[in-house]
Amino acid sequence: MSETGWLEVSIIVDGELAEAVAEVLARYTKNGVVIESTAIDQPETGAGTAVGPMRVCAYLPADEEVEDKKQRLLEALWHLGQIQPLPEPEFKHIENTNWMQAWKANYKPIVVGQGLVVLPAWMDAADSERVPIRIDPGMAFGTGTHPTTQLALMLMETHLQKGQAAIDIGCGSGILSIAAAKLGAGDVLGVDIDAEAVENAQNNLLVNDVTEQVTLAVGSVPEVMAGQYAIKQAPLVVANMLAHLLLKVIDQGLIDLVAQQGILILSGILDEREAEINHALEKQGFVVVERLEDGDWVGFAARQKED
Amino acid sequence: MAKKVKAIVKLELDAGRASPAPPVGPALANHGINIMAFTKEYNARTSNRMGEVIPAEITVFQDSSFTFVLKSPPTAVLLKKAAGVEAGSGEPNREMVGSVTRDQVREIADIKMNDLNANDMDAAMRQIEGTARNMGIRVEE
Repeated sequence: MSETGWLEVSIIVDGELAEAVAEVLARYTKNGVVIESTAIDQPETGAGTAVGPMRVCAYLPADEEVEDKKQRLLEALWHLGQIQPLPEPEFKHIENTNWMQAWKANYKPIVVGQGLVVLPAWMDAADSERVPIRIDPGMAFGTGTHPTTQLALMLMETHLQKGQAAIDIGCGSGILSIAAAKLGAGDVLGVDIDAEAVENAQNNLLVNDVTEQVTLAVGSVPEVMAGQYAIKQAPLVVANMLAHLLLKVIDQGLIDLVAQQGILILSGILDEREAEINHALEKQGFVVVERLEDGDWVGFAARQKED
Repeated sequence: MAKKVKAIVKLELDAGRASPAPPVGPALANHGINIMAFTKEYNARTSNRMGEVIPAEITVFQDSSFTFVLKSPPTAVLLKKAAGVEAGSGEPNREMVGSVTRDQVREIADIKMNDLNANDMDAAMRQIEGTARNMGIRVEE
């Protein structure tokens, strides 16, 4: 840690030059180099890619050697510039900050569906109209930011009826179980085969103050069917996991957990696997009653086919 | 509509040793990314390759969520290894520090193929040669 802060050096160059400039910066700076896009090209459906020039950036500890290193860095860049023209680098002093906290200032809550908002435990709920679900942000999966989670939340908003029990298979962070409780479900059961996930989800129940309504356990469909927990069947069953896992739990009897007239919500399906899931549902007498999509992800609400 | 990408940030870091200090801290804080979540995951995925520089390419979405993938080592690192030199030239326009063969350039292009925005092997090799020239590493014919 540098006591006196850091000197940030950045330079905007063509993509082809970025690696050579990064190599020069890496030589005189500390801890590594950042190469960041300056523009993104994203087609209507598909992934975004970096286009145009790149910003190469690195940091020197602002200690007694900083001026000397800065000069040597400038010389090395000058020589590189003799081969291919380079723009002038920019220098900026950066104060030492608690970086572990600093990112929070730029974090935005995630608004989902008609009336939900997912936000971290440390953030005030500015919009009191929306029901807050508190999950600390992390990697995109399981923290409320991933499209699959959002699709499941939106379907639950539409199909969950107040007072009814709900089962969440593969609960992960517990976000869907928490949402069910907050949307007014009666008893909620969330299960996951990952004990660590269940432990983490238990913390999330505490933060959201829903420990009364929600029971969590390590397990999956067979354990629920075997009656190991308080709930064996519910009018609303949700499973948010990748298609091959959905097929597995459907095979294990997921449909049997759905009470008469009940709704099954499935999310985590890439559109290319949609037909397979549909087929597996149909084989068990279920039909899709609502379908939502976000990018290449698809979510379903399904129920028993009426004769 | 696919999830909207806000930025793509490549961090060239020492395997297993990412910390919230610069460059990781400021680079990610600007985008509202959970820095601990990144460093923990990066170190877990790279700790078996200590001593190498392993870039992580982070895709940042509009809502501050992110995903990342590990990339092949930087071209410059591979070139230095191939040429057997510690560092690139401070004066690449005047002083050569070493050389690599065209076969070595081809090997590096092969490793980097997926990460370079190159359409074919020739274009990938030209990019590698460009980086070599900018580092004062000669490509032997």
